[in-house]
Amino acid sequence: MQLFSCPFCGPRDETEFLFAAEAGKTRPEPAADVSAERWSEYLYLGGNPRGATREIWQHLTCGEFFAMERDTVTHVVSVSHSLRGEEA
Amino acid sequence: MLETMRDRGKFWTPVPDWTTARIERDGLSVRRIAGLGQMLISGDLRGAVAGLAPGVSEIGLWSLAEADSYFVRSARDRGLLVTPAPQHVAPGWREGYVATPCDDAYAVLELAGSGLAEMVAEATSVDLEAGSRSAAVLFAGVTVFLYRTAPSTARLHVESPMASYLWKWLDER
Repeated sequence: MQLFSCPFCGPRDETEFLFAAEAGKTRPEPAADVSAERWSEYLYLGGNPRGATREIWQHLTCGEFFAMERDTVTHVVSVSHSLRGEEA
Repeated sequence: MLETMRDRGKFWTPVPDWTTARIERDGLSVRRIAGLGQMLISGDLRGAVAGLAPGVSEIGLWSLAEADSYFVRSARDRGLLVTPAPQHVAPGWREGYVATPCDDAYAVLELAGSGLAEMVAEATSVDLEAGSRSAAVLFAGVTVFLYRTAPSTARLHVESPMASYLWKWLDER
């Protein structure tokens, strides 16, 4: 069992959380000008870094989306923080 | 008798007779509380509470509700206003918040006894003594609002369709 920390609720069991996306992914716009390759890249290709990463997660019981910085090798979570007023 | 259609009803957990259902064993009793008023609030929570139930306290996970009416915080901008009886409030937008009466949407189960902490520890993995601003937590795999009304008495609000499952889970411990 691992504990993640919701910016609002505090530490909770990992089963209460859902991975949403890698942080920093921006939806390509305007849609009419986006090529199929660029759209496919946006939908299906992730950086999947080894080591430190910044991701968007959702705490399912309260519904909050937030940013979490963690290490994909050690699974250590360094920080999680609210997205209120910030870009994902 | 020839079965012409498969009876899918057998797959579902039988619904207890809530008027008489009780779980009684050493150190723990469980019953369903009926008749409470429940109203989901979202938006400006402070304004909503001031307008709908002035003076009620906000409670979070494992907090102690010390009055008959209280506001159970479930998220940054949402919560459940609990009153001794249903309030006749029209659902919809008001100034800065939305109120949605949902008296029957959540089943309220009361767990009491010296074995309460042990039961809750089995159902959740959260550190109850550390507290949490949100009372919403996974309990036996389903989301509930969990708080106390006395040191050894807890209430949980679970979506009504999940009440039979949760009752069975509690009964089989």
